[in-house]
Amino acid sequence: MICLLLVCCEKSEERMVVEEMRKKTTKDVSPKMFATSDERFRDIKPSPVEGNAPNSWVALPAKQFRLLNYRFGESGQGEVYVSLSSGTVRDNANRWLKQFGREAMSDAEFASMEKIPVVGIEGVWVDLSGDYGAGMGADAKQGYGLAGVVAQADAQILTVKMVGPKNEVDAEKETLRNYIGTLRMTGH
Amino acid sequence: MDNKIYTKEMSQGKSVFRMIYDFLSGFKLATALLLLLLLLTWFATLEQIDHGLHATLNKYFSWKSFFFIPEINGKKIPLILPGGYYVCALLLVNMILGGVIRIRKGPKQIGNLVSHFGIIFMLLGGGVSHHFEERGNMAIYPGEVSDIAEDYFEYVIEVSEVVDGNRNEFHIIRGKYLTDLKDANHRIFDFKGLPFSLKVSGYLKNTQPVNALEIPTTNGELVTDGYYLQSIPPEKESERDMPGAYGQIIFEDGNKSAPFILIGASFYPFTVRDGERTFTVDMRKRLWPMPFQVKLDKFHADFHPGTSRPAKFISDIRRIENGKEAKVRIEMNEPMRYEGYTFFQASYGPSDAKPTDVMYTVLEVVKNPSDKWPEYSLYIVAVGMLITFLTKLVGHLVIVTNKRKNHGKKI
Repeated sequence: MICLLLVCCEKSEERMVVEEMRKKTTKDVSPKMFATSDERFRDIKPSPVEGNAPNSWVALPAKQFRLLNYRFGESGQGEVYVSLSSGTVRDNANRWLKQFGREAMSDAEFASMEKIPVVGIEGVWVDLSGDYGAGMGADAKQGYGLAGVVAQADAQILTVKMVGPKNEVDAEKETLRNYIGTLRMTGH
Repeated sequence: MDNKIYTKEMSQGKSVFRMIYDFLSGFKLATALLLLLLLLTWFATLEQIDHGLHATLNKYFSWKSFFFIPEINGKKIPLILPGGYYVCALLLVNMILGGVIRIRKGPKQIGNLVSHFGIIFMLLGGGVSHHFEERGNMAIYPGEVSDIAEDYFEYVIEVSEVVDGNRNEFHIIRGKYLTDLKDANHRIFDFKGLPFSLKVSGYLKNTQPVNALEIPTTNGELVTDGYYLQSIPPEKESERDMPGAYGQIIFEDGNKSAPFILIGASFYPFTVRDGERTFTVDMRKRLWPMPFQVKLDKFHADFHPGTSRPAKFISDIRRIENGKEAKVRIEMNEPMRYEGYTFFQASYGPSDAKPTDVMYTVLEVVKNPSDKWPEYSLYIVAVGMLITFLTKLVGHLVIVTNKRKNHGKKI
């Protein structure tokens, strides 16, 4: 229960006494104290991948599965992120196809995919459009596009994924290719 | 019981009270309200495609929405519609006055009366649910134990003292006291037992912290410690909105800290030191403690072949309370109901999970005092209709039998 006592001290200066409280739960961990704004808003662990993002993309804090994380496009729905994961190039490319309701690739289809360089190796370029189901039980988003690259970087899979409204993805594909060209592994 | 027969001429001499009563209890009003509800539901179904479910439900059915204009495919429909909450409230009044008080009383009307009670119960259930229901989720990895649910939409500010590296109690500023603090609007919050107050201003519904050196401000935003809050358009799924605001500590001696950013997306809280005491200030989704713990033993997901559409997902959990454990399986359409809480199998994560990743379950936790009322009301309506139909059937059979008897006598 919260009981907020209103005390108007000055004109338009509203004060309230907060009485609602809760006890510690399993979700509360010991916090990092005196974190800087960089630490509070960015996952500033040294990223194993770096790149030179275009000015038109907004850099966002890294997340568990997004080592580099950006937004782009007028709708605010466009996302670009770089991840390192496990599996094979083909498994990961097929996972993206599945998100657009497509069947897994045949050997011939996989062999014919466009190859582009990324972090000094060869990756496969994936280009999709349609209804995008990101998973987690969410409804599919209509009229979406995906462009990106999947590559085997040592024992890991490097993915660079751009997803958003199709027209915005189409407009940014060349920018994405240029960005992919700037990516480098940092050794962290 | 009033046995008078009212004629058109007599109605001209009715009192205002009687006219209002007749209008509110009338069949015409009931028909108009039901048609309006049909229209509202139809428009809401279309509008939620573009604006998301939560925002549309708020626009069409919240008690705060008296009138509104529908917007389909980005175009405003030239039609002013009444809020669904008030249509339902009027229907409730109509049902009580017309369907219970005014209705002719007698054995033949018992079925109708019971059905009307069922509808009244359903409308009341909707109202209770609207005002008192809470929805959140609990995300747990296999082997983890959780005793809290996280609200879907409400972000709060939590202030806590750190003692020996731990925070044991949290002061909570509820979201409803933050959402109006836009632009220069501000409010000062005092906390019992804490040596400072917190001033909050500049609330944004959906925002992100941006480094001012990377992307300079464009609208004169307040930059603090190199960052500012950039407003971004609301998400279609409201639960993805990330609100933020600016905070400022006002110490007991009147000194003030520099402004700092509070945002749901921050990795760590803001730290305040006052003498030897240390405190944290953080914005996050509201947590509701549960009276019991939930441990996830196993999570299993099946998908429709070749798609990411889930066919089935199942959580085998253990409910732990006072040292006792109960094993429960929660799956789609098979929730767990316990102590006023309902746990539905809602989702899973991570969203980009690879085949080898460990997945966590997301259980939707609903606390709703009228959780089962719609079901009970349907039973009541069904019983009422059954009584009505049986009464009609028996009446019909009696008439037919009497006719046959009379016909036989004539022969």
